[in-house]
Amino acid sequence: MREASYQTKNTGTEPAYMKRINRLKERVLATQPEMDLENARLLTRGFSEAEGDPLVLRKAKAFYRQCSEKTVKIWDDELLVGCSGSKIRAGILCADSCWSVLDKELDSISNRPYDPFYLTPEDKITFLDEIKPYWQGRSNYEEWLAQIPEETRILRDAGVVYIDRKAVRGWGETTAGYEWLIREGLTGIITGIQARKAELDITRPGDYEKDIYLQAMLVSAKGIIKLAERYADEAERLASVETDQQRRKELEKISEHCRRVPAYPARTFYEALQALYLYQVAIFMEQNAASYNPGRMDQYLWPYYKADLEAGRITTEQAQELLDCLWVKFSEPCLFQDAGTAEFAAGYPMFQNVCVGGVDETGKDAVNDLSYMILQATMDVKLYQPSLSVRYSVAKNPNAFLRKIVELIKLGTGFPAFHNDDAGTTMLMNKGVPLKEAYNWNPCGCVETNLEGRMRQYTALADINLGHMVEFALTGGRSRKYDRIVGAETAKPLTFRSFEDFLNAVKTQIACATRAVVAGSHVIDEIGLNRPCPALSLTFKDCIKNALDYSRGGAKYNVGNGIILIGVADLVNSITAVKHLVYDTGQISIKQLLKALEDDFEGHENIEKMCREAPKYGNNDSSADKIAGEIFTFIADEIEKYSSKFGPMTPGILPVSGNTPFGLEVGALPSGRRAWQPLADGISPSGGTDLKGPAAVLNSVAHIPHGRFVQGTLLNMKVEPAMLETDNGITQLMALLKSMCSLGIYHVQFNVINQETLLKAQENPDQYKGLLVRVAGYTAYFTELGKDIQNEIIGRTVQQGISVG
Amino acid sequence: MTENQLNLTGNILRIERSSIHDGSGLRTVVFLKGCPLSCSWCSTPESRNFEFEKGFAAELCLGCGKCAAVCKNNAIYIDPDNKAAVTDRNMCSCCFNCANVCPSNAVKIYGKTMTVSEVMDEIKKDEIFFYHSGGGITLGGGEPINQSDFSAALLRESRLLGINTALESCLYGNYQNIEKLLPWLDTLYADLKHMDYGMHKKWTGEDNSLILENLAKVNQSEYSPQIVIRVPLVPGFNDSDENMLATLQFCKGLNNLKGLELLPYHRLGIDSYRYLGLDYRCGEIPPPTAEWLSNRISFLKEHNSELVISSGSGFNAK
Repeated sequence: MREASYQTKNTGTEPAYMKRINRLKERVLATQPEMDLENARLLTRGFSEAEGDPLVLRKAKAFYRQCSEKTVKIWDDELLVGCSGSKIRAGILCADSCWSVLDKELDSISNRPYDPFYLTPEDKITFLDEIKPYWQGRSNYEEWLAQIPEETRILRDAGVVYIDRKAVRGWGETTAGYEWLIREGLTGIITGIQARKAELDITRPGDYEKDIYLQAMLVSAKGIIKLAERYADEAERLASVETDQQRRKELEKISEHCRRVPAYPARTFYEALQALYLYQVAIFMEQNAASYNPGRMDQYLWPYYKADLEAGRITTEQAQELLDCLWVKFSEPCLFQDAGTAEFAAGYPMFQNVCVGGVDETGKDAVNDLSYMILQATMDVKLYQPSLSVRYSVAKNPNAFLRKIVELIKLGTGFPAFHNDDAGTTMLMNKGVPLKEAYNWNPCGCVETNLEGRMRQYTALADINLGHMVEFALTGGRSRKYDRIVGAETAKPLTFRSFEDFLNAVKTQIACATRAVVAGSHVIDEIGLNRPCPALSLTFKDCIKNALDYSRGGAKYNVGNGIILIGVADLVNSITAVKHLVYDTGQISIKQLLKALEDDFEGHENIEKMCREAPKYGNNDSSADKIAGEIFTFIADEIEKYSSKFGPMTPGILPVSGNTPFGLEVGALPSGRRAWQPLADGISPSGGTDLKGPAAVLNSVAHIPHGRFVQGTLLNMKVEPAMLETDNGITQLMALLKSMCSLGIYHVQFNVINQETLLKAQENPDQYKGLLVRVAGYTAYFTELGKDIQNEIIGRTVQQGISVG
Repeated sequence: MTENQLNLTGNILRIERSSIHDGSGLRTVVFLKGCPLSCSWCSTPESRNFEFEKGFAAELCLGCGKCAAVCKNNAIYIDPDNKAAVTDRNMCSCCFNCANVCPSNAVKIYGKTMTVSEVMDEIKKDEIFFYHSGGGITLGGGEPINQSDFSAALLRESRLLGINTALESCLYGNYQNIEKLLPWLDTLYADLKHMDYGMHKKWTGEDNSLILENLAKVNQSEYSPQIVIRVPLVPGFNDSDENMLATLQFCKGLNNLKGLELLPYHRLGIDSYRYLGLDYRCGEIPPPTAEWLSNRISFLKEHNSELVISSGSGFNAK
């Protein structure tokens, strides 16, 4: 196996359980992602049978039909079972919300550059004969195209905002109430729903609607129980024909578990894991979307593991094997999305974010044995899912935990995403959650913030291209690429009398783009009202209490959608360069600069040099850093100014991989970046411009008011593997991470890969199938990424050890 | 500290942050310009002269002639054969007009003047990193004792802020200049390049008697900083059993010795020689291997099991 070379040498002999894990893992790695239309077909039949019923009930009935008729398969060696589709690595089409996406890509999806899915000829026929005729005109995307506000459309078409993401998939970006589900069981939840239902009187205005909704919840809950029973039946059938004693026992156990959970409360750690995964399968089936986050597994699974250990029902090794099995399961499903969205978030990213560490509900250290075992699971399995995050509390969590984190960083899987606990808590409080509950926050998807079973939002509704904000301020709103006015028609740059005039023009552009995104967001909120998700809502207690679906604001905390900024360093460096070159030192005139930008610096190499050598964000330079603080305070103010019916709009900085396609839309910038090149990722410095080492990077990055960007801020750093080979190097990385927390920075993740390896992987992808890279907030197989994203990853500055020189 | 001392100026080569090879924790290393020795293996030849110097990377030169056009002294011309700039170093005054216009960054600037307070502004930026790592400031170079008032002011300012201080020195200089630094110094990294008088003189330009004398005085001083002996280990120069044993013998006389560090010879400075138009004098010395280094460490440990012996600069001897 190729990945063997990325394993640590000091592990000695592999534990016995790794034999099974390696077999499970190889199966996932060897399987090409395929489209899987079984769910879509069942859903369509379910919907058409229930014509006449209210929408939510039709959704629930169709879901029930999926649960009772979908293919149920248990693969060899599995200890935990469940699959949303009928194939191991499948992209499933959620027909009611996004059937039309596939329509446009029927002939290309098998071979498209980003995230191809193999589509069989039979499935193509199913799609054209059954699915398309029923859903035509009813998808999110069609409604969105019909309703998109004009100002939003203009910016979208010119690559200034990316806002189609939610029109092409379901909800996601949420943390279901796994803890409650495992503890209470669906039968307990059903009892609660029935009790709530009994309080209603359908002659009272509004109660009929609620009654229908609770009925839909009951149907969905029963669907999930049915699905689990079918897995139990299948395990029983396989056991009856199994000749291997050992495997027969395993299958009998699987059968026993699926009869028990998630219908009833889990009694053991093993049952708790099975309950969790079957529910995960169910909600993904209900709405194909990224970012269903299992959240703080070390906290809610701890009582089960502890009780098993104390009762002698489990050994540490057995528990580790089960966790590792779950990790492989998390890596099976593949997010299906349209080609354009895949370009913005490539690598089939499921974003199932698991989190360990942090503090408990009293605010004290919450690290336990499971925290370490969950880190170990990622060290063992080294697959792209789950997205593993840590909450690290510099004041409360132990050094031993931090050291284990660094040991995982050292493996170069890109995991874990390291989060400063205090900053996360602040973000949640800024979303309106009181401290008592904010203690329980969890990272969501990429680096967004969430709260299990209580919070509704689209964490990353739309992206704004910050490169354009500078471009438009210097062109009076004209796109260089399309040569037409798309931004605000701010004053002609030749009339600027001071730096402030220029800065105000940038701010006006930002205000204009923000407004357009908010307008679009409100439309998407309206469309979303008709995309109910009763199965997901089952584990949101307040959805039952309010008899109101998650999609309509039934959760305890409802938050305005996330607006994401892309091109932070490009914006800061460009503003800084204009200030420095034109207004502070007067080295060039604005006219000269405009001409150089218009010509993409061709024939203006001296100006290009000045632009490149102007102060840069990432070097702890006070002029650039000050601008970073000012402009991002302005941006947070601007976004918070708006509210939706779900609450104030929320800013965040997480590019996923959108900085590459956004870059293709932006001409040359005063930062010295040439036209059509990728923008900088997250809050990281532009590639190759951070020359003063990691402390300087962190000091610069700390100038952004992190706590206000409540959907998270994302920083990528790279370290040489050599640096982590000495104990001293490991200790110093620990110190860097603590310092980063003291500086109030929210998140950092490390790529520990040398460029040579990446170049080789690009040349011989077959030999590097298992090579993982952190793209930006998530980990993907390097060889599965598109070539320009690969190039960008290769181009990121390599920190020389952590010392420079 | 008086305003005067904060305004003292020094000649700096560069300031390097987040170093993990020059003392405990994450450190900011201030490289001063000017060194009294001229070691054959020196990896930072651009630090030797106290005066500023111009480096030139011919392979990056586009031959555009912009540098020649802005040169105050007419020291630059474009060689019509190579289509590359040539600088007459005798005529160059290091005004660096050429560096400012070079479109391909072929011109390197070696040296800048900074005040104590300017350097301290750089140091203070990393206070949080020092706090969490136990790091601090390290003066190196070049030779900090050559700019002793400036160096003393930096160490003192740092100490007053609770920042750990270290000095890397060859100790070749007037002891009074060394003494000024001691009250503010936590750790001294003292180079012992060779124990033999003649060999030292041959390879570094000066003999070792003043160095050994100064080290003995530091050892006796009332401030007695921690001492780490550093041996830049060069194959064929100082790696003999005899010199290793003599070094160990000398170390026995030091009462505040924290350890012995071997810094294996490397060629990473070879480009700088070229940029300065200097010959690289160690061309014949093969790059050392990890086995050789392990062997030398083992030898030392066999003869002194008490002493902490390590190898610096990222070389990983196992």
